[in-house]
Order: sequence, then structure tokens, then C-alpha cells
Amino acid sequence: MRTTMRVLSLLALLALLVPACGAPATEAPAEAPAEAPAEAPAEAPAEAEPIKLTIWWWGEQEAPGAQAWLDETLALYSEANPNVTFEAVLQSTDTLIPAFQSAAAAKEGPDIQYFWGGVWTIENAWTDAIIPVDDLIPAEEWDHYLNVFERQYDGKTWGVPWYLSGNPVVFNPELFTQAGLDPNAPPATWDELLVACDKLRAVDVIPIAGGVKDGWFGGWLFSILARQPHDSEKAFMEASVGQASYTEPKFTEWWGRLGELKDRGCWNEDIGSLDYQQGQDLFVTGKAAMLFGNDTFLAGWAQTMGWDKIGLMLTPQYSDGALADDYIVTAQGWGITSWSEHPQEAADFLVFMHTPDRVNAWFKATGVLPADDRLDTSLITQPQLQQVYEWDTTRGGPNLENFIPSMMDEQANFAGVQLLFAGDATPEELGQLTEDVNAKWREQNPDAAANFEKWIE
Amino acid sequence: MQYRKHEPWLYLAPALVMLLAVFGYPFVRLVILSLQRTQAGVPAFVGLTNYQLLFRDDVFLQAVRNNLKLLLTVPVTVGLALVLAVFLFERIMGWRLYRMTLFLPYLLPITAVGLVFSYIFQLSGVLNDLLEAIGAGVLAQDWLGSTTLALPTVMFVIIWKEVGFGVVLFLARLMSVEEELFDAARVDGANWWQLQRHVTIPQLATVIEFFTVISIITVLSWVFGYVFVMTGGGPGNATMVTELYVYLMGFRYNQMNMASAVSVLLLLVTGVFIFLELRLRERSDLGLTS
Repeated sequence: MRTTMRVLSLLALLALLVPACGAPATEAPAEAPAEAPAEAPAEAPAEAEPIKLTIWWWGEQEAPGAQAWLDETLALYSEANPNVTFEAVLQSTDTLIPAFQSAAAAKEGPDIQYFWGGVWTIENAWTDAIIPVDDLIPAEEWDHYLNVFERQYDGKTWGVPWYLSGNPVVFNPELFTQAGLDPNAPPATWDELLVACDKLRAVDVIPIAGGVKDGWFGGWLFSILARQPHDSEKAFMEASVGQASYTEPKFTEWWGRLGELKDRGCWNEDIGSLDYQQGQDLFVTGKAAMLFGNDTFLAGWAQTMGWDKIGLMLTPQYSDGALADDYIVTAQGWGITSWSEHPQEAADFLVFMHTPDRVNAWFKATGVLPADDRLDTSLITQPQLQQVYEWDTTRGGPNLENFIPSMMDEQANFAGVQLLFAGDATPEELGQLTEDVNAKWREQNPDAAANFEKWIE
Repeated sequence: MQYRKHEPWLYLAPALVMLLAVFGYPFVRLVILSLQRTQAGVPAFVGLTNYQLLFRDDVFLQAVRNNLKLLLTVPVTVGLALVLAVFLFERIMGWRLYRMTLFLPYLLPITAVGLVFSYIFQLSGVLNDLLEAIGAGVLAQDWLGSTTLALPTVMFVIIWKEVGFGVVLFLARLMSVEEELFDAARVDGANWWQLQRHVTIPQLATVIEFFTVISIITVLSWVFGYVFVMTGGGPGNATMVTELYVYLMGFRYNQMNMASAVSVLLLLVTGVFIFLELRLRERSDLGLTS
């Protein structure tokens, strides 16, 4: 007991002595500059200034391998810039937005934040949570970034794209062959899609897999199907602010087409009680022949089912608007927060992410295409990914979910698709629901509606 | 004398300051936010506009209706807990094991429970497979994908999880009742039913009141986890509840002022029940000490 007390007393004494000894040591350099010669390197103190950048991100969720790449990139950057350290926090899908909203309310949190494109980025500009980055990044850099338009508002750019996320229709060539369909000529028109459904059903294969219980797939279906009669994403932005009506046939037709697929037995019967991920698993496990998928998952699926069971096609067409035959692609990216004390350093790091070495390393680590045209395309050896790259760069079109109010996405698209599959609403009723939700959004949030109007310009 | 009168307040002051900082400030801030709206990028006072808008929002009204429907779980949970507690109090064989088994769901995290039941209640899930296997396939339903069945399914899970707490509460109280009371009733010729009616239930009255109020508070403001994990409020808002509505308003639609207005309303309604619970506890304490 006595020994213990002695040890504790000694530790207490040491605890008192260490700060006491430490104080002069930290004070000493403060006096040094005064005595230092005038020609002392002026940049030395600035170089030594320790900078910590906090990053909140999400990419590993849809780009497995991103964690390793980011760790390596942070390490390389710190190696070249020893005064810069990082704290990277991986967010889940459900915490990505709430966590940042809380941070924005407190003006405290990350320096660099991951954002989906379009409204998911821009609405943070409206609340002054992020800053424009045009002047922080050299003009010649911007020439290489892809899909920058999603982050532009009021003549400024509010973020930096990172990687591309597109929506092909994925199919299983083996199951197509089994059903008597030609995998080299997958359905290109709506009628051909319906015929393919019939043939796949006839051999007991689920034609298209899906899960709408968690809602997210409802938003995807909107973006994939609702676009076809339209020429631009602005049509939807205009309808959202009341300059057009979602009850017009051009806007309700997709509900009817989706209902047609349901009535024809194209979907798995349990689509209403499965989450999107569970629906996707039906395709990956070879039970379903087609999937309205995401190209960021292709490399991961190939590890499970093999590239030979993955074919790609564009969404079969039912209409002839300019958006009908494009390839939906968005760039997931970054923004710099308004409360960051080191915006330039944050921007410098984002530029570093886009160096050719890092861009190529990204593709090697994830199999996901970077939002930068400096990718060494000889690295893309899989024909399916070559196809995606070609679509990305020649016929890329907007992801409509990024250009509508999030309330509409949730209360009209998510909920509406669920109601349609539950058999509780007609296309006309769902058109009216969409119109009502947008009217409510404008009434509850006139400021955001005004910002949307400005965005359309 | 004057000093002594104020002296207790001096001792209480640090704790009061802490309480005001931790609970008072957020509440005041919440009320202020609920009375504001962003106009041209700046918060502006708009009186009760947010509250008026709420009552015109069909999704909010649906959420309130669903919370009211969830109140139906309260009598079922209380009644079931009472019956199970009485049976366990009879010391049926293996009662300790049953007690532990019944309490176990209450200890499990809501997210885990929600996930497991999500799998059980899928159209192609365990329950429907079981029904098919025993030749009752006609009863198989899309428990979570149907707008009419999703809310009752969630209610079932709430009851399954919460009933164990009631059982343990009731059993603990019963075990503290003097055995002589039951013996006296038996000597007087009371049958099993009369024993419960005239001894057990009166002895449990305060605990039943307490559990009822706690259960009401739970279904009004503690069901977010169940709904978020099992249905996300769907299909088509069929299981939307006010807590989830607050979350969506605040964090998905970026409308913190509207979310604050709902939170104030929810807090007021729950506050009434918390006050009621405190009064009951006070009465119960008085009963114990008198």
C-alpha cells in the first residue's frame, strides 16, 4: 500500500513538473524570430504551420476499394506536405446528409465534404454551408473534370467531381440465352422489353429485379424512366417551381409504363417488401435476368458472378425526347465548407486527387471511372467498362433526381412507386400526388423555390 | 433570517444553471426556430405560419393518425404483460426461464429487432414460408409491402418487444406483495378469478398506471427506430410517424423550421404524459410512505 502511494505521489509530481518544464521550451522559439536575421526564409514558418483537414465521405458505399485508395492518397499528400494531416470519416447512406446538416447548423465539422451532384450540392450553397471553388482551382484543371455542370449555380462552381456513377440496364447473357433471347441484341424498345419479360417468365426467371421498401429505388426509376419524353432536366425543374404541371401526360407517362411492367409480371413479386440492395442480390445470385443498376457496382458484382454474366444495355425506349437515349450519369464529388479555416489547402488536396497518378490509381483500386478525362484508358480492359466509358463520354445525360426538390423525390417518387407496386394508385393519381407535393414544397419553402427558379436560369 | 431563506437557492444554483443550459436553452431555441422561416437567406419571424402549414400537410396528418393508431398497442401490451405476469407469479414450471425469455426482447436493440422482423415478414420471408409449409399458404401476405398490413405488422413488433418490460415490472411488484393477502383471500373462499380481481390487480394498480403512461410515451415519441428500420415510413407513407416526419423535414428536405414546429408539438403532447407519469409516481410514493 505504502509503495503504491509512493508511486502515485511520484506520478503526481511528474505530472506537475512536465508542464512546468515544457512551458519555457515552447516559449523559447517565440523569441528566436526577433533575433533572427531579416533574410531568414520567410516561408519557413508558413510551411511549418500544422494544418489538419477533416474529410467526411461516403464513396466506399458504392465504390468498394475507395477506402484503400483514399488512405493511400492522404498518406502520399502528407508525405509531400508534412504539415498537412487528415481525419477522414466514412459516413453511411443514412448519416451522410443528416450529419452534414447538423454540422452546417453549427458551422463546425468537416473542411471537405462528400456530396452527390445537383441539388444535393447546390442546396448547401443556398444555406451558405459551402463556398464556390472556381478561384481556388486553376482554370486548366477544370478542363479535365467531367460533369461539372451539376455543381454550377449563379455563375459559380460549388464543388469538384470525383467519380462517375451511371445507370445502365444490366442483364445476364446466360439467362437471356436460356429464354431464347439474343444477348448480342438486347431489347432496345419498350415493346421488345415486354416481349423479353414474357420469354423470361416462361422459363421461370425473374425478368427484372428490384426492391422499393427503402424508397431509394423509386428515385432511380423516376430518373431512368420519366426522362424519355423530355429534352432537358429543366423541364422537371420548371414543373417543380410551378411553371408546368406534373399532371401533364408528358410527366405521367412513366407511371403508366412502370405499371405496364408490373402488370406484365416483369418484376419480382416481393419488390414491395425488399430493400434495393436485396432486390439487386436477386440479379447477382442469378435469379433475375435484368437490373436497373449502377455502373459503380459492376466490378464488385463481377467478383461474385463473373464478367461473362454481365451484359449492359441502355434503357429500352418508349418515347423520343432528347433524354430518351442518353446514358444517365452523375459525378459524385466534393465541396469545401464555409467554416473551413483552410479552403485553399482543401482545394489543393482536391486537385491532388485529380493528378493522373491518383486518377489511374482510383480506377485500379475500385474499377469505377473517375470524373477526369486524364484517365489512362488503356487501363480499362473489360469490354463492359469500355462500354460505360464510351457512354459516359459520348452520350452522358443528367440524373433527374439531382434536379428536383428532395421532398418530391421522397414523397412523390419513393412513396408513389411503393403505392404503384402495392396496387393502390393509378398513374393519374400519382401525377396528381407529384403535383401536390411540389405545391406543398413551394408553400412550405418559398426561399428554396425561388432558388430553384434562379437555378433554372 | 433573510440569508437563510435564500441559502438553499445558492446551493441549487450550479445545478439549475446546468439544467437551464442543457434543457432550457435547446427548448427555447427549438421554439424560436419553429416561429421562423428563412426568407432571402435570412431567418425571419413568421409567427405560427409553420404550424398552420403543418396542419395542411397530408403527410404530417397521416403521421399523427398513425401515432394515434399505434396507441392501440398500449392496452394490448399492458393486458398481455398482466396476464403473463400473473401466470409467471403462479410459479408454473420453468417460470424463471420464461421470465428471462420474455424480458430478452426488451434488451435487444430496436435496430436488430427491426432488421430480423423485416426478414421474417418479407413476402418471400420466413413467416410466409412457414405458412406455406403447414398448408396455410392462403394466409401468406405481403406484411410490409401492403399499405393496409404494414402498420399492424409494425404494431405487432412493438408489442413483442415492449411486453417483456411490463411483465418484469408487474412480477417485481407482485413478489413484494405480502403472501398473507393471497392466503387470506383463499381462506375466505376466493377462486382464481376473484383472487386476481380483488387482490392482484388492486395491488398492481400503480404499476399498471406507470407502465401504461410509459407505453403511451413510447408509441408517441419512441417508435422512430422500428419504423425507420422496418418500413422507412412506407409503403406510401402508410407507416409514417411524427418522429420520422421530423427527421425527414429536418435532414432530408432541409426544412429545420418546420421540423422544429413538429418537435414542439410532439414535446407538448409527450410533456402532458410525462407530467401525468410524475404525478402518478408522486401519488405512488405517498401511498408507500403513508
